[in-house]
Amino acid sequence: MKKLISIFVLLVSFAFTSNSYSKTEIHWWYGNSGFLGDVIIEIANRFNDSQDEYMVIPTGKGSYEDNMAATIAAFRAGDQPHYSQVYDAGAAIMVAQVKNGVVIGFEEMAEKYGIDVDADNYIPGIKNFYADGDGKMIGVPFNSSTCLMYANMDILNEVGIEEVPKTYEEFEGMAQKILDAGYIPLLQSHSPWIWTENFFSRHNLLMTDGNNGYDDVPTRTLFADTEAFVYHWTKVKEWYEKGYYGYKGRAWGDNQAPFTNGEAAFWFGSAASFGGMKGVLPNFTTNPIPYWDSVTGGKEYPTFIGGAANWILNGHTEEEYKGLAKFIEFMGSPEMDLYYHNMTGYAAVTKGGIELAEKINFYRASPYHKAVGEQLGLEGSTIPGGYRAGNWPQIREVIYENVEPMLNGDITVEKALSNMDKGAAKLLKQFAKTL
Amino acid sequence: MKKVQFKSNYSQYFFLAPQLLILLIFLYWPIIQTFKDAFTMQDAFGFGSQFAGFDNFLFIFSDPSYFTAFKFTIIYSLVITLITGSIGLLLAVQANKVIHGKNVYKTLLIWPYAIAPAVVGVMANYFFSERYGLLYHLFNNLWGFNWYKDVFDAYIYVIIAGSWKQISANFIFFLAGLQAIQKTVIEASIIDCKSNIRRFWTITFPLLMPTTFFLIIINITYAFFDTFGIIDTTTIGAPGSETKTLVYKAYIDGFKGLDLGSAGAQSIMMMIIVLFITIFQFRYIEGKIHYN
Repeated sequence: MKKLISIFVLLVSFAFTSNSYSKTEIHWWYGNSGFLGDVIIEIANRFNDSQDEYMVIPTGKGSYEDNMAATIAAFRAGDQPHYSQVYDAGAAIMVAQVKNGVVIGFEEMAEKYGIDVDADNYIPGIKNFYADGDGKMIGVPFNSSTCLMYANMDILNEVGIEEVPKTYEEFEGMAQKILDAGYIPLLQSHSPWIWTENFFSRHNLLMTDGNNGYDDVPTRTLFADTEAFVYHWTKVKEWYEKGYYGYKGRAWGDNQAPFTNGEAAFWFGSAASFGGMKGVLPNFTTNPIPYWDSVTGGKEYPTFIGGAANWILNGHTEEEYKGLAKFIEFMGSPEMDLYYHNMTGYAAVTKGGIELAEKINFYRASPYHKAVGEQLGLEGSTIPGGYRAGNWPQIREVIYENVEPMLNGDITVEKALSNMDKGAAKLLKQFAKTL
Repeated sequence: MKKVQFKSNYSQYFFLAPQLLILLIFLYWPIIQTFKDAFTMQDAFGFGSQFAGFDNFLFIFSDPSYFTAFKFTIIYSLVITLITGSIGLLLAVQANKVIHGKNVYKTLLIWPYAIAPAVVGVMANYFFSERYGLLYHLFNNLWGFNWYKDVFDAYIYVIIAGSWKQISANFIFFLAGLQAIQKTVIEASIIDCKSNIRRFWTITFPLLMPTTFFLIIINITYAFFDTFGIIDTTTIGAPGSETKTLVYKAYIDGFKGLDLGSAGAQSIMMMIIVLFITIFQFRYIEGKIHYN
């Protein structure tokens, strides 16, 4: 009898403990690693500590590409997470999946489950990048970066350059001086993203037909047809031959390393790169990416948003979506937005976050963080704030494949750009067939 | 010999079932799925799926980088087969002669075989890094080596990375082959011929032919399929797309580019290529080999 009672007591206590721990689980998959991955885990922990109904479980899947492939594979197997981080180049694919019931748009979610963050609370440029053709925000803005110019001020001081270049013309004028002092004047880490996509946005030029894919499904890219773009790469090639620009292969890190080690004066990278550089390189600044004065006539235009957004995936219970809504609300709060901005260098994505930053004089304390908001917040662009072109990850691959032989002088600039156009047109056509 | 008789007509299926099930799930199902993908056009999530006929095949044949990958894969597998086979054979013959500490040599030479290709690639990365690579700087001083600019240099990079580990595999099999040769044959040949080298080419090597044939197939298959991890951790296909193997290209298009139709068509092309190589080997090479 005693035994029976003790078993009964044990069972009852189990029932209670499991009850108090049975929180609704929400799975969030992401494609960041290292420090950025740690921050994501920290965000989830903070949310989990802030309430005890729901539990967000973050899972890192490797790179952006890996996470997207994993999410798609999981969806096809009926085992998808609730929330997944998909990068800029995959945005067209994700937006197109709303009609197939794969993705639930933010605004639909907000309406249904009452998220206390309005879509209009997100910065317009960022909101539009992840919106559908009607301007409805689909993806939830998260880590939004753009390309920036990092400058090693010690080198510039040594060479006697007082101001960082605003334009490529200015850069060209000072490059020889830097080279003569034994430094690499310029490096950049992502030819498709920085010197293709964002070349077009920075100069207010259309990159594809169909108004960058916002009006019609794009059929071709406008690389070889854009005079300024041909001019830019002709110049880059010339710089490469003179040693003004040093190409270190395709890997992001190989191009960043010489700058971080103090061997290069300028490096173009992501706004989120500064975290790894702070404390390593003693005296550097973050600046807007240069533009060709001769192309824009002295005007500056905003670049596209880079980085990724989080996407809500279909196929889960109402209770779980309620929890996700709470989580989205939590992440959209000014405090969390500013926390993320501060930790990573990614842009603050909400108006509330920016207001809070102003209020506490955040940018005076940390001027590094300023450039990203300034560059993204520029006005006057007549092109859309992004591009909606499918198969874009492969088109980036095509761009890479042609940049190398062009720099090596195996093919001319015109030939390389028309090769890119041809390759891209085929991939765009292929994508259009699946719509 | 008495035949074993089973009473039931079904028990054999019962015993075969686990094996068949594994084959079905891990072999036949993916193959059928690949065929399905290759002949359909669909978006990444599998929607909008429609029969596409040979569109996916036409698509890859109109892609110049597909032919680059084809060319590289052929060159790569031939060079790797040749290098790993000849160095493996040389090491095996020498190790077979060693009398003292034979096992130490053997063990040390077999070790690299246990290393995963991706790890080999990461190690090669250290040797060929522009910042701190020993081989990079050695070669760079000799002839201005730079693998992300020069196609030939990139070839050297991936060939060294790809061969290193496979030499061990060749070594093991050649050593086993050498030890399987009967002592009497060797002793008889010593009486007939004094020249070591001549004896090797006229007696030992012909007796090793079954091993050699086996290794050629293994090496080609290795270079075709298993070097994926090495390419992904070394050149990622640069410069241009010159060092992409067919498998690597299918991976990039299928998993990074999310174009399953094209990746499926590429897989089928690969199947056909391997089929042809194998048929060729069995028809024209195997006939010249004497099994005991």
